[in-house]
Amino acid sequence: MAPPSRSARAAVLASSVQRSKPVPRPSQARRAFIRRAVVVVLVLAALTLLTVSFRSPTAGALHDVQGVGSTALRPFQVAATRVAEPFRDGYNYLHSLSSAKSENARLKKQNAALRQAAIIASARAAKYPQVLRLLHFEQGPTFPKDYRAVNAAVLSSPAGPFTHTLEIAAGSSSGLRINSPVVSGAGLVGRVSNVFPDTAIVTLLSDSNSFVAARDLQTGVQGGIRAGPSGTLALYEVKKQLVVKKGDEIVTDGTRNARYPDIYPYGIPVGRVSSVGASDTATFLQVQVQPFANLGSLDAVAALVPTKPRR
Amino acid sequence: MSIADGVKAAALLFVAAIAQVSIFSEVHVFGAVPDVLLVTLVALSLLRGSVVGAVGGFFAGLLVDTATLGMLGLSSLVLTLAGYWIGRYGETTGRDRAHAPFLSVAVVTVLYELGLLVVHFVLGESAPAGAVVRSLVPAIVLNLIITAPIYALVRRLLRRAERDELTAEVQLLG
Repeated sequence: MAPPSRSARAAVLASSVQRSKPVPRPSQARRAFIRRAVVVVLVLAALTLLTVSFRSPTAGALHDVQGVGSTALRPFQVAATRVAEPFRDGYNYLHSLSSAKSENARLKKQNAALRQAAIIASARAAKYPQVLRLLHFEQGPTFPKDYRAVNAAVLSSPAGPFTHTLEIAAGSSSGLRINSPVVSGAGLVGRVSNVFPDTAIVTLLSDSNSFVAARDLQTGVQGGIRAGPSGTLALYEVKKQLVVKKGDEIVTDGTRNARYPDIYPYGIPVGRVSSVGASDTATFLQVQVQPFANLGSLDAVAALVPTKPRR
Repeated sequence: MSIADGVKAAALLFVAAIAQVSIFSEVHVFGAVPDVLLVTLVALSLLRGSVVGAVGGFFAGLLVDTATLGMLGLSSLVLTLAGYWIGRYGETTGRDRAHAPFLSVAVVTVLYELGLLVVHFVLGESAPAGAVVRSLVPAIVLNLIITAPIYALVRRLLRRAERDELTAEVQLLG
């Protein structure tokens, strides 16, 4: 006991006071051993589970236990999902609001692209009947022998009433030459008047410089197809005493003189006689011909290229 | 660690594991997923030591693998080591340091992802290293964001238990 004159602090700190022996703590080595043993056991257990699960992932007792455990946990998972659902919905709503503007712009862009694609598809579909007729002509009996067809899309149509040419997407690389006859599915269109490696210029029948030796298929009357001043076709040089009737079909006459071979082979449909007239003073009939081919609206044509080299 | 403490820790890990596999596994941000379970385990290990961390990691991993019908033991292995390591850090260097939870979460996130990658690779399963590496930074950021609230919650729950125990002890002595 400390004397009454000394404070309690002094009594505790005084060197003469006998200190109590510290209570012995559990050995740190023992604690470390336990700690390490627990970890080692757990790691070994995990490795064992992993090995068993890896070796038999679809069968075995462990698989069954896992299935039961999963089933037992399912209600908790469902409950958690339901609890989170309002938050998720709220987040999705806000997210959709924030992304609505960009999505709107993206959809507008997509809509424009789709509309353009639809127009292109429609335009291509509109050309289909012409292409089909062209194919029928090429495979039909009126297609001239010793010729092959070079099919080509029309790149540019006549620009106006004073232009009687069109540009096609085939040229010398496809075998086209100047004066190659050009047909559509309906009939004769004209001839190649200028040729480039991949394109060519076609002069139409309606051009004033065009001339086609032709004949009336029904009566056999021969003449020449030329364009009149107004661009309409007419069968010229038909003598008055010969018979040509309205509705007769006119086809190319082919070569009349072997020394001067014609550029158009025989038998290509040209048009139909729309009117026949004669004046008292004129020597020849006035035979108007309506061409079979719609010269003002062509999408696809075929140039006729001889399969045998011409002399 | 008292029984009440153990029950609370187990309940915490159970809730975190269920929330992780049911809710947070679907929250993808820049290819990463916030790992509530890992952060909870880190908090628990820091506060209760390596043994609790290791045991908690083992059973939390078991829960996850069971709930997701994954390969049993895979998550357990990695989480056991993570819990033990963080527990040791908490018992030694990281004791009473404010930055300890954040540092632990950042490091453990990297080690956990790489550990899973290695185990998957060793088992011959799909181990997309590029994707994992790319998602590391977002994963660290996400986990750091949830660290503060989760650590505060865990500390509050477990400390309250300590106070209860202390109070009971005083009452018994009194």
